[in-house]
Amino acid sequence: MDQQLMRRLQVEDLLYREADLLDQWRLDEWLSLFTADAHYFVPPSDVDGDTADPDKSLFYVMDDHIRMRERVIRLSKIGAHSEHPHSKVRHLVTNVRVESDGALIRSRASFIVSRAKDITHDLFVGHYLHEIVECEGALKIAKKTCVLDMEALRPHARISIIL
Amino acid sequence: MTAQTRIIADQARGKFLVPRKAFTDQRVFEQEYDAIFNRCWLYLGHASELPEPGSFLTRNVARRPVLFTRDREGTFHALLNACPHRGALVCRERHGKSPAFMCMYHGWVFGADGHLMSLPGAGGYPKGFKTDPQKQMVPVPRLERFGDFFFINFAKDGEDLATYLADAGDYLKLVSEHSASGMQVVGGTQEYAIRGNWKLLAENSFDGYHAACNHSTYLEYLQNANGALGSTPLAGVARDLKNGHALVEYSAPWGRPVANWVPLWGEEGKREIAAIYAALVQRLGDERADRIAHKNRNMVIFPNLVINDIMAITIRTFFPTAPNYMEINAWALAPREESEWLRKYRLYNFTEFLGPGGFATPDDVEAIEKCQQGYAAGGEAQYNDISKGMLREGGASFDDEEQMRAFWVEWDRRLAAVEA
Repeated sequence: MDQQLMRRLQVEDLLYREADLLDQWRLDEWLSLFTADAHYFVPPSDVDGDTADPDKSLFYVMDDHIRMRERVIRLSKIGAHSEHPHSKVRHLVTNVRVESDGALIRSRASFIVSRAKDITHDLFVGHYLHEIVECEGALKIAKKTCVLDMEALRPHARISIIL
Repeated sequence: MTAQTRIIADQARGKFLVPRKAFTDQRVFEQEYDAIFNRCWLYLGHASELPEPGSFLTRNVARRPVLFTRDREGTFHALLNACPHRGALVCRERHGKSPAFMCMYHGWVFGADGHLMSLPGAGGYPKGFKTDPQKQMVPVPRLERFGDFFFINFAKDGEDLATYLADAGDYLKLVSEHSASGMQVVGGTQEYAIRGNWKLLAENSFDGYHAACNHSTYLEYLQNANGALGSTPLAGVARDLKNGHALVEYSAPWGRPVANWVPLWGEEGKREIAAIYAALVQRLGDERADRIAHKNRNMVIFPNLVINDIMAITIRTFFPTAPNYMEINAWALAPREESEWLRKYRLYNFTEFLGPGGFATPDDVEAIEKCQQGYAAGGEAQYNDISKGMLREGGASFDDEEQMRAFWVEWDRRLAAVEA
């Protein structure tokens, strides 16, 4: 099969697996999809999310791997009130485009994430920018940026789930 | 305002009750616009957001579209962002640089001070039309600055900004004094909403009592993160700053970029923090330097400006569009001269606790929304208790509710005044 097509299928498989784990709140397994020096970012809506630098602009989320792990730990606790009991979550991932930059694979995909809890139901719409590397034969995520294609986080109020 | 929407305060008996109708009643909500948002000084923006002549930004303040500009001479203007011709928004961009603004409907063009520069088909109007005061963009009745903080007032008359700020002024100054070269708003705005009454966020923004329960997971996280906590205990006071403004001021174990070192920042960080502190002492003296570096402040400037100078500095403002819904904007404020390394820690600190994606704010949101839902119980469950620390000997602690009582007394006074 065409190598590029094969690569895209592999990346799609990874993104779908990631979405599925998040939907099922299997967050430890979700974390295992990332490299040990991974980052997870959600920029705000009034900067160019594709290029903004989390060290220079205020983001919604700027997690290094330590904080990603802590986020997972926090979300497993009763004291994470915003997500206790857990929301019903559904990640839809589509329009996956893949390009390779040497050993680095960059993918760009569209998402809609639905969060339902109590009397609220919110949709997060945007695109994912994943940086993926091959580690010991498996693909791992080194960086995940969730760019919201929204004018503001309204009425959502929170990104208490993982996008 | 009926008896059911007045607060009940009895200092001698340590009793302070707030009626839950204050959070749910449509009539109270409308009175709040008359009595508070249309009469108080409201935060508009920071000078650093309009960095040069020609800079502009648009922002909704108390439901009104406002165009905030700096003209060619550098003078700041606040205009109601509506065309005098047919009322369309004149400027439809969030921010940028422009010497003039053209209404997209019929092409009327206005200067940064709002004056009508040109209009197509001027021959269809009588002589003098263009300079008629009614054909100019309308300035917000009052615009004043306190340092680099700009405020507007929709009432033509009333006390000036400095008088209004009362004792809060010195605390605004204290925040500005973190830097020798001036403070700046860091790019990127957190813009969100909460399905709850706006006064719940005012209370929550300086509530020292809720942290142990509501934010237990945040505190546990800090303990897990190696070296993120120093040994300083949480301890401090609440202060009434008059006119409804109040704050809590306290020591805390977390790191502060200006200038409280924690082990996580390493030896190099220790040297940088020490140098920042030494410069503060030299510039401002021991007492003020110590307060800036080692004390945290959560301040609410009545009615809706929060300046929290904690593990980072946030400017937060919020407006209700209904009794059970508010829109919030939050920014990070930082010294201009801050090193890249420290700026990174500042933003890391900020996003760790604050905002929709932080480890704490989502649980504040949950609390606020659940209060709003709980108010539907109505019936006999009609009052909130805000009495903690009222009878404490030696004055209120940072985890009492003195600061909220200052807010509520002013809220009650202003609503009673429009009712009378």
